[in-house]
Amino acid sequence: MIDYSALYPEIILIVFAALLPAVHLIARSSRALAGVSLVGIGATIGLELYFILNNMLPLADIGGPSTGLLRLDIFAALFALVFLSVAFFVVLTSARYVEKDRHQAEYYALIMLGTAGMMITASALDLITLFVGLELASISTFALVAFRKKDKRGAEAATKYLIIGGLSSALSLYGISLIYGITGTTNLEGINAALAALPSGLDAGTLLAIGLLIAGFGFKVAIVPFHMWAPDVYEGAPTPISGLLAAGSKKMGMVLLFKVFLVALIALKADWQVLVGVLAILTMTVGNVVALQQTNMKRMLAYSSIAQAGYMIIAIAVATQYAVTGSIFHIATHAFMKGGAFMIVAAMTYVALGENVSDYKGLAKRAPFIAFSLTILLFALAGIPPLSGFFSKLVLFSSAVDAAQIASQNWMIWLAVAGVLNSALSLYYYVRVIRYMYVEKGPTEEKIKLPLSMTVAIAICVGATILIGLWPDPVINICSEAAKALLPGLT
Amino acid sequence: MLDNIPILSLLLVFPLIGAFATLMLGRNPKAARYIALAFSAITLALTVLMLFNFQLSSAMQFEEKYTWISQLGISYHLGVDGISISMVFLSSLLVFLAILFSWDVEERTKEYMGLMLMLEVGVLGVFMSLDYFLFYIFWEVVLIPMYFLIAIWGGPNRAYASIKFFIYTHVASLIMLLGIFALVFTASGPLGGLNFDMLDIMTVSGSITGLLSTAIFFALFFGFIVKMPMVPFHTWLPDAHVQAPTAGSVLLAGLLLKMGSYGIIRICVETFPGVTAEYQVLIAAIGVLSIVYGAFACLAQTDLKKMVAYSSISHMGIVLLGISTLTELGLAAAVFQMFAHGLITAVLFMTCGMFQHKAGTREIPLLGGLAPKLPILSTVMMIGFMASLGLPGLVGFLAEFSVFTATYDAFGTWVMIPIISVAITAAYYLWAMQRSIFGNLTTKIDTEHLHDSYWFETVPLAVLIGFIALFGIYPKLIMDLIVPSISALSLFGVI
Repeated sequence: MIDYSALYPEIILIVFAALLPAVHLIARSSRALAGVSLVGIGATIGLELYFILNNMLPLADIGGPSTGLLRLDIFAALFALVFLSVAFFVVLTSARYVEKDRHQAEYYALIMLGTAGMMITASALDLITLFVGLELASISTFALVAFRKKDKRGAEAATKYLIIGGLSSALSLYGISLIYGITGTTNLEGINAALAALPSGLDAGTLLAIGLLIAGFGFKVAIVPFHMWAPDVYEGAPTPISGLLAAGSKKMGMVLLFKVFLVALIALKADWQVLVGVLAILTMTVGNVVALQQTNMKRMLAYSSIAQAGYMIIAIAVATQYAVTGSIFHIATHAFMKGGAFMIVAAMTYVALGENVSDYKGLAKRAPFIAFSLTILLFALAGIPPLSGFFSKLVLFSSAVDAAQIASQNWMIWLAVAGVLNSALSLYYYVRVIRYMYVEKGPTEEKIKLPLSMTVAIAICVGATILIGLWPDPVINICSEAAKALLPGLT
Repeated sequence: MLDNIPILSLLLVFPLIGAFATLMLGRNPKAARYIALAFSAITLALTVLMLFNFQLSSAMQFEEKYTWISQLGISYHLGVDGISISMVFLSSLLVFLAILFSWDVEERTKEYMGLMLMLEVGVLGVFMSLDYFLFYIFWEVVLIPMYFLIAIWGGPNRAYASIKFFIYTHVASLIMLLGIFALVFTASGPLGGLNFDMLDIMTVSGSITGLLSTAIFFALFFGFIVKMPMVPFHTWLPDAHVQAPTAGSVLLAGLLLKMGSYGIIRICVETFPGVTAEYQVLIAAIGVLSIVYGAFACLAQTDLKKMVAYSSISHMGIVLLGISTLTELGLAAAVFQMFAHGLITAVLFMTCGMFQHKAGTREIPLLGGLAPKLPILSTVMMIGFMASLGLPGLVGFLAEFSVFTATYDAFGTWVMIPIISVAITAAYYLWAMQRSIFGNLTTKIDTEHLHDSYWFETVPLAVLIGFIALFGIYPKLIMDLIVPSISALSLFGVI
């Protein structure tokens, strides 16, 4: 008898997702559907928390000891919590955002299925499981981006996303098959053992496989030079979904990179470390420089997400437990910062304010709470203390300084230098928005009234950003546990 | 008497509560003013209370230490010695007076007052932190209220000036942060684990040598001299000052610049005495360059406020020169100069602000002969200028004189270069005064409806001038606080 308890969280989500169309027949309102989804997501969060708080992790692997497919350990649970929180506030915001659209049941069901897919990748022990989770998440988000099919920008974005997504899946699948050919296994640990046992290290096949995997997963995370699609898609998608992509789907890409590079390919570390480091610096710099010129909020946030991904990849280049702690921490804080920012943009679109930065002029007078929240979130993204984004960047960048003190890895100091300089650069475009809101005068001073659900979603993000900033200890602890669970072998 | 009271935390808590109270309860400008003034008065009263309970010794006093982030060895560690307590006093005093001076701000009063109090939290935090991490947080927290003060209440070019100020100093802080990382990780070896505590790190910093110690020293040093600011990293300052509202300029010059020089003494000199000694001449050269460059730049200004801004660069150069002598006298005089400059520059910026307010311009060529029309303002301006150019009997003279004495001890006749610049300082002040308040009454502005100083302007100026005279005649009051802590610097054990 197989113990499926490691899959219970995903099962709950999928059951609720399947339930939604039925609910739709009874209650034809967006709010009822959102309510049911929130119950499902809430229950899953509860279960994950129950597992964590009772120290039940890791649960028994599904698929046996050496050929394991899935393991719900603290790493997977932490990421599941991140994905679920994102789904939670995305659904909360959507309750009013999509109230006039058709096919609402499918909308919520797809969000939940996508989240389940992301959670599966986080607990995958095997390349095949990894790929299944990735595809589940990808296909759900393809449909979500295309949700407003009559909207031209939306349709364009969806087409682009579908093609790029397909290409990225194909590339990574090809990489996976090559790895399987070389090592004879799809088990992540097994691949590492097989590669470590190879006599002469790198041959052309392995190199090609690494390249394909970087490219394939790079599209998901939007690493430069595989980032072109992200701003267009984020701009065209319904704004809550842009939030889901930036705060959820992108983090799944990071999980893929962690699992593949730090678990399966760690034996070849010396061969890809510098390459990943260069990509990290390139990604953050291009993201920030291009963000400087954006006038559309969603595009600006998209480029800022690219830059933030650059910071997160530092951890893969550095490849120490402390660095991965920092990266996981940054992923968790970024989910709230960036998710919250997108929710605010969604809320502003909902009340018929434009998406341009200049539309935010004088917002401080019209919607003091929103202006304050966005200020907090943007400062956190820029890494101003004592907000959560500062602490996670601190751990991340300091890990590079730490690792650089080992003689042969002096170059890593440049990762930290590039990181802090980029943070300073990013301040410019974040502060510009703040300036518009507080300093410039708007066309009117009429108050803006927001639906309660959106206010709550935004308040959750801002609350988490401030609280984690003031009291980061427990979060750092759990991130450090997660890094240990993922990489027992590294220091 | 203060044994069981966490007085340093209270010093942070009261302005913080005050800031929120002002923002929430300040329904009309009047209420906002009174709330803000009350909270800054409480903070000032607490500071004075602390001063009376301060033991005249080198020990860290009123220390508080709680673990904050155990994983990273970060703690909430506050404490003051003679160097910091004089700065804490200066901060509480200036914020209180600046709030009073801003009594007629009608535009978004509650935000204005709230930001001033938030700024006070940051500045006090910087002067009291004994943990690198906490220090950095307060250091950065200061930027945000100052950014808004310039960006919302500033002059016509405020958007450019505020963002330049923010990004320029933020980049410098980040480089300082890299230095802090490197320092903490290097020190974690001998300390047996990550530890951000300044005092603990100081005990093992001697084991850091070679290129690494130089690199860390300069990363930190860079962060500090940009804040001071020293030539050639001073370009943010004239812009920020000219655009900032008067009270903003007072706090910027009076307190924010001091954070830089305080950091050099508390961190660079204390943690790396060896490196400081090795690069003594370079540090002195930067100081002298700033003194001379600042003085010459003043000569060229036609805007009173811009002139005062450049004079700050020159006077902060004297602080750095004092530090670079690495003698007890020099360092004590440097701290005294920080204190003196804080008082004097506050007077100067307040008078500039009043000219703008009353005459509608600060352009020297447009002013002239205003002394009979504005007797109080002109008198105050004269005293301020005299104090700043180093008139004996006022506080500035003693500080500069001691720095130059120490410079002579350390570098010999090279002291002539900075001393000559004092002559230039006298020249630009006297010249500016002659053109703006003496001579024939100007016809270029409307001089019929000039109103002399209001009570809320006179009172802060009178208090400041009182202190300028008091400490000028009886410097022992401040020197007694500073000297024991300076004498105990680890520096003197090394060189």
